[in-house]
Amino acid sequence: MILAIFATTGRVFFLIFLSIITGWFLSYASVKSKLFEEIYIPLTEIFESVPVISFFPIVLMIFVINIGGIMGIELAVDFLVFTAVVWNIWMGEYQAFKTVPNEMVEVSENLNMGILQKLRYVYIPFSIPRVAANLFPSVSDGYFYIAVSEVFTVGTTQYHAFGIGSLLVEFYSKNEMNYVFYALLFQAIIVGTVIILLRKYSKYAVAKYTLDTDAPIIRRGRINVRTTTRIISTIAKNPVSRLAGYYRQRSSYRVKKEEFEKEERRFKIGKYTGYSAGIIILILILYAVVRLIISIKFNTWHELISVTPEILLYMAFDYLRVLIILFFSVIIAIFVGYYIAMHRIAEAIFVPVIQIFSSFPPPLYFPIIFGISYPFVYHYFGELYTDLYVLFLGFISTFYYVFYSYWIGIKALPSEYFDIMKNLNMGLLSKLKNIIIPGTFPYLIAGITSTINSAWGGLMIGEYWPYIVGNKSLEVSNGLMKFIDINTVNGNIAYAAWASLLLAIVVAIYSILFTKKLMDLAKKKYVAEEGIFAT
Amino acid sequence: MSDLLDAGREKHNNSNYILEASGIDFTYSNGYKVFENVNIQLIENTFAAIIGPSGIGKSTLLRILGGFLKPDAGSVYLKGKKIQKPTSDIILIHQSIVTFPWMTAIENVMMPLKVKKVPNEIAEEKAMKYLELVGLQGFENLYPKEMSGGMRQRVAIARALAAEPTVFLMDEPFAHLDELTAEGLRQDIYNILFSPETPLKVVVLVSHNLTEVVELADQIFVLNNIPATVVANVSVTIPRPRNPRTDEFNQMLDNLYIHLTPPRVKTR
Repeated sequence: MILAIFATTGRVFFLIFLSIITGWFLSYASVKSKLFEEIYIPLTEIFESVPVISFFPIVLMIFVINIGGIMGIELAVDFLVFTAVVWNIWMGEYQAFKTVPNEMVEVSENLNMGILQKLRYVYIPFSIPRVAANLFPSVSDGYFYIAVSEVFTVGTTQYHAFGIGSLLVEFYSKNEMNYVFYALLFQAIIVGTVIILLRKYSKYAVAKYTLDTDAPIIRRGRINVRTTTRIISTIAKNPVSRLAGYYRQRSSYRVKKEEFEKEERRFKIGKYTGYSAGIIILILILYAVVRLIISIKFNTWHELISVTPEILLYMAFDYLRVLIILFFSVIIAIFVGYYIAMHRIAEAIFVPVIQIFSSFPPPLYFPIIFGISYPFVYHYFGELYTDLYVLFLGFISTFYYVFYSYWIGIKALPSEYFDIMKNLNMGLLSKLKNIIIPGTFPYLIAGITSTINSAWGGLMIGEYWPYIVGNKSLEVSNGLMKFIDINTVNGNIAYAAWASLLLAIVVAIYSILFTKKLMDLAKKKYVAEEGIFAT
Repeated sequence: MSDLLDAGREKHNNSNYILEASGIDFTYSNGYKVFENVNIQLIENTFAAIIGPSGIGKSTLLRILGGFLKPDAGSVYLKGKKIQKPTSDIILIHQSIVTFPWMTAIENVMMPLKVKKVPNEIAEEKAMKYLELVGLQGFENLYPKEMSGGMRQRVAIARALAAEPTVFLMDEPFAHLDELTAEGLRQDIYNILFSPETPLKVVVLVSHNLTEVVELADQIFVLNNIPATVVANVSVTIPRPRNPRTDEFNQMLDNLYIHLTPPRVKTR
């Protein structure tokens, strides 16, 4: 059991480590090559906004069906988890590299540093606080997806990768609840320890690697700019890293054209690295797409098209579920987040608790909640119980994104706003309406986006969960995730892949049309720091 | 017992002071004692200034006067009534210029009125009046980021005036403006603040800039020593408008410099 927990944790950390290392090189290529940046960043942004589930059928095809064996399963699990942890780390590193102060870059050029030296002495140290900040959502997402991907079924074959996720499935199926509790306890100890270590590391990273700033904005109470940064680094979820776009605008590092050309001549290797990495990424994506297309026979395209309206209807059901989850997450975040941000003791207790809780994958403990509460819920709500459980699972998988994001937004509000609220004796609703919500709007939007994306993960697990406890199964009547799950289990990968692809397209369109526009609006109008004029 | 407390709270009901700080002691959370027995009394229509060496606690004192910080000993009274918490009768203007970027100039100014549930039409009318008073007529629909620093500070002042306070606490309000803009605003500020259209009775300014202080203030409190106390209370009787090039003005400056020696640690 302990070995299984370490195997799972090892996988998560190895993949995070891999993401960090690759991210450094990709980010360096981005700041050095405009072309690479133009390919890399939009793709990363799209992948970041697409639920991990979208990758599942591709993963199955490439690794399980084509490679097969233990290696195939291991790679499938690893790839799925990699896609869960990698994007925010890559984006965080890219944003850090883009905001390296020009003076530092000039010093490195002055000393004729090579690429590796620049990375070692300038870029990597500068990116460490951001990497540390992004470790939290990555660990959280990593645990979540590894817990569900260590066991999966395609057709009649069930695939297992050794780890706590697969072990728990075994315990649950044999109804060995004692072992389940022990496994969850050990897992909780490991997650708690990991989070505590990460918090310590974040503090260390910020203390050592964050630049001193002359920023004149004094944060509320005893929190100053550095402390706030430290807090953000300690608890930040990926939405915050997206906000960095704003800071990028304020202090972006752009090499002047002549310098850029000079750089290009001097460091051709960097350029070629950029090109090569860009091409490799494109090839990988094209390969996946081509595999997807050619794996489907021409006559099955007809079937896929005919099933599309049904898929879209299921998608509408799921969007409704996502909206309900979002509604409750936002309402709770707005009031509870505000209360916690305003009360030092509550904050000291609840923030680490919620952080550990959020990193503990719900799929591991949800069957226990289900097992205990099922008789009551069924008694009071009848057949509605399946939807209630799915919504609840979606909620516990995802509410903390918007909660943390909003809480960080409040902590980052200029102290002067709090003085004004006190000065004008504003009531709670007036504060929220006039100052807190507009002032945290960019954070809220980022949190809402992540909450929506992660809600899909909850739905994926909850909508079709055969034999969740003993003989009991959890199965909604209609839902896209159920459609994908069932078709995957039945070995109908084409249907599953098609539904995933449609979902990915809808999510990407939604992301471009809705989220991005709201984010742009937030960055344009609702940046609280811009309300403070100080030279 | 509660009668005694109430009597204590209202003890200055018959005083002529609009704002009074009496026997203020204050210690930071790190144990550093900032103030010991600070006393300030201000009568109606006074523009007061607080000066002192850097780090002496001028801004902290301003926050105590506004009820944002609670003194360890002593009390602050507004028209004889003890100040227990921040109130819209005493408005603080921050050193960094604070506006709300998601609101236009007029929306910024209307906010305190909306909080007081003033009907929209009246709030708009009043906000326009205050914007006119600070010289921003015609700019009411601009967002703060479309304005210069000086204009933003005028919006912040108009918003503060819209709360219709009795006292203004200004924490280095010109510190983040360029000299030319600051000079322009300084010239307007006295007339704006003590215009018959505002209910203001007292202004307390904290500043490092002695010329600014002598130019504006009727009464100057010099804070010094560790822990700090009021070491001088200087009345400025130079007629307005004041010209910094006159001998009288420079003499006043020299007089203030004498009190601004490096702070001495008090021994017991």
